[in-house]
Parts: sequence; C-alpha cells; structure tokens
Amino acid sequence: MISGTIPILRIGPTLLVTISVELRDQVADAFQADVLVSIEKTGATGLVIDISGFDIVDSYVARILAETGRMARLMGTDTVLVGMRPEVAATLVRMGYGMEGVRTALDVDDGLALLGHVLPKKKR
Amino acid sequence: MVKLDESFRDHHRKYMAILKLDEAELRSRRAFFQITDEDLARLVKLRPFADKHMQEVVEDFYRLLLDHPETRKFFPDEASIRRVKRTQGEYFLGLFNGRIDLAYVEDRLRVGAAHERIGLSPKFYLGAYRRYLELILGYMTQEFGNHADLQADFIAVQKLVYFDVALAIDTYIAANLEALGRHQAAIRELSTPVIRVYDRVLLLPLVGALDSHRAHQVMEAVLLNIVEAQARAIIIDIAGVPVVDTRVADHLLKTTAAVRLLGAQTILTGITAQVARTMVQLGVDISSMHTVSRLSDGIELALSMLGKEIRDCTPKAAPPPHGEGT
Repeated sequence: MISGTIPILRIGPTLLVTISVELRDQVADAFQADVLVSIEKTGATGLVIDISGFDIVDSYVARILAETGRMARLMGTDTVLVGMRPEVAATLVRMGYGMEGVRTALDVDDGLALLGHVLPKKKR
Repeated sequence: MVKLDESFRDHHRKYMAILKLDEAELRSRRAFFQITDEDLARLVKLRPFADKHMQEVVEDFYRLLLDHPETRKFFPDEASIRRVKRTQGEYFLGLFNGRIDLAYVEDRLRVGAAHERIGLSPKFYLGAYRRYLELILGYMTQEFGNHADLQADFIAVQKLVYFDVALAIDTYIAANLEALGRHQAAIRELSTPVIRVYDRVLLLPLVGALDSHRAHQVMEAVLLNIVEAQARAIIIDIAGVPVVDTRVADHLLKTTAAVRLLGAQTILTGITAQVARTMVQLGVDISSMHTVSRLSDGIELALSMLGKEIRDCTPKAAPPPHGEGT
C-alpha cells in the first residue's frame, strides 16, 4: 500500500529517486524495497537519491540512506546522494554520521555527471 | 546632505528605543530622582531668573570649555561656538519649563547623542556639568541670597540636572555597546572570508586561533558558501593558524565530512613542517582530507578536480639553446 509513495524515475542506466516525504518506519521500508526491486527489474547501474527536500535528517534516516546505498552496491549499482542542505550536513557530522562509503554530489546534475564519468571508464 | 542631516536628527530616536524610554520608564526614572510636581512648580517659578541670567551662565560655561586645551578642540571656529552657545541657551531654559515628558527626554537624548557623536568623553561632560551647577547656584545666591526657599529651589534644579545626566550617560553607554556589537559582527564577518578563486572553487584562508565557537562559524560559512557557489572544492588554508592541536584537527575533519556530504571536496593547504609533525605525533588521522603544503598546489589540485589545469603558455618562438650537453 505504502509502496509507490516515492516515485522512482529511470534516466538511461540510472534511477533517480526524489524523496520529498518524511521517511518514517514503514515508508522507509517501502522505499528501500521499491528501490531495490527497481534495480533488479531495470538493471540500473546508477542510483541518484535526491534529498534536497529534507530540512531534517535524523540518525534513523541517515542509516536507511547509507544502508540502501550498501544494498544497491551489492547489486552492482553505484549510489550518489545529492542535494543535502548545509544545516543537515552540519547536524549529521556533529552527531557523528559522516555517512562514509556513500558518494555525494551537490545536485542531480552533478550526481548524474558523477555516475556518467564512472560508466565510460568501466566500459573501457 | 539632507539625508545625512536627517539621519543625525534621528540618531537619538534609536537610543529612545534602545533605552526603552516609554511612559512607564519615564515614570520610574522620575520617581527615583524624586522629581515631584512641587519641584516642577519651583522650576517654573525660576523661569524669569533663568531668562535673566541665561546669557551669563552660557558665557561662563563656555569659558571653562574653551580655556581647556582638550575641550577647546571640539570648537573649531567662531560660527560653531556661536551655534553651540545658542543650543546651550535653549538647553538651559529647558530646565525651567516645568515639564518632563517624552518630548523632553527626546530633546535631552539629542544632546547626549550629539556629544557621543563628536567624541566628547563623559569626563568632560560631567566636569562641565559640575561647573554648570556652580554657576546656577552662584547666580541663585546672588539673586535670592536671603530667601528661605533657596535650598529647595536649588535642589529642584539639581534633581532635573541629574535626571539629564543619567540620560546622557545611558546614551553614551548604549552608543558604545552598539559600536561594540558592530565591531563584533565585523570580526565575525572577517574571520571567515570565503573567496571564490575560480568557478566552483572556493578558498578560505584561516588566520588566528580556531576555538570551537569560531570553528562552528567556519563550518557554517563553508557549507553555505559551497551551496551558494555550487562549489566542487573548497581550499582551506591553515598557514595563518598558530596552533593546530587535536581539537583544531577535529574541527577540520568535521568540516571536511560535512563538505563531503554536500558533494564537494576539501583541500587543506598551508601545512607547515611544524604542523605536520604535531599532527602525526598527536596521532591525528587526516587521511580523509586532501592535503598539500602550498596554496598554489591546492589551487592546482582543485582545478584538476574540475578537469582543468594551469598550463605554461610562454611563446615557444625562440628555439631552446644548444649549449646544454654539448
């Protein structure tokens, strides 16, 4: 039922997820499942998660996002987290969440470029 | 020119607000200085006396100010002396109007604000006021020497004078606090000068000690500027930071981590031999940061992140000299 709350767009070999709703328990679960199923179905090699709509990211959300990135990695998909707001970044770092292992970019453009830069190299 | 005059004229209004001078405050001040309606009535009664001696009091008063070298400086020419004497006369007569309301207070604050603006320090203000009271008492004794009310009359004048002095001193202090606040804001601004050295490359030269308060500001300024400039890299130059200890290193690491979360990279430059030694001896792991010793190397590294480079473009017109190796 909750599945599908967060739209997942496909742009070439990349999936773009823009999260604009609060990630709470069930929604977070559904989000994670949706993203992974989409990767399985499309064989996407890149995943861009846009969180520019987030004013607040707590430890729970940070963990969900980092986890999703690691899960996608297992399926051969690179994840880029984009659009984090300055105040969110400052808060996360102060709480000790550096989200190591997750790649980041300023915005969706940069995130796609980052993945695009990686892909041709892989082919070569 | 008109604008300047207007802003000067409105100066005291600002202090009215800062000192919270409303009807309630006015009542409280009046009560504390024990200015009764009877006192005001006495002052009104003295008005003819004030009119009569105003000229002499003002002349005597300015003799003190003009004879003292330090206060003499505030009166550059005859015209300005004439002007202040006229203002002083009005001020003097204002003491004998028998009314204390917000308009009166506003008028008094204007005097305090004017003194503060020209930089006349409180010691001269207070010293001059002492002379003022002496003059008033002198003329009052001369006029009503054998009058039974002399003491009560003089006390009424004194009460109002002290009421005025309190307002002026409050204005001085408010003005100084305000200046202090402005300077602190300026220092804050200056302490994190984020410069755009190239499209999407920022530079923050840190100078001076980095305490937690400032580190907090640095992080905030860095993050906001990165988003605003859509920067890919920020170079933090710490050549001007005198001591880099574990706490400073920790602040830098936190900033780096936050910058990374935004999708940009931090390059730390200006690491001196001493700092490098301290960092390693303290066991600080800064491997998550890009570090280079010189700022120029940092700029080159930042440009390389954008796929750009600095190239030597001296014209190769002249063939290389053949002297070498032959």
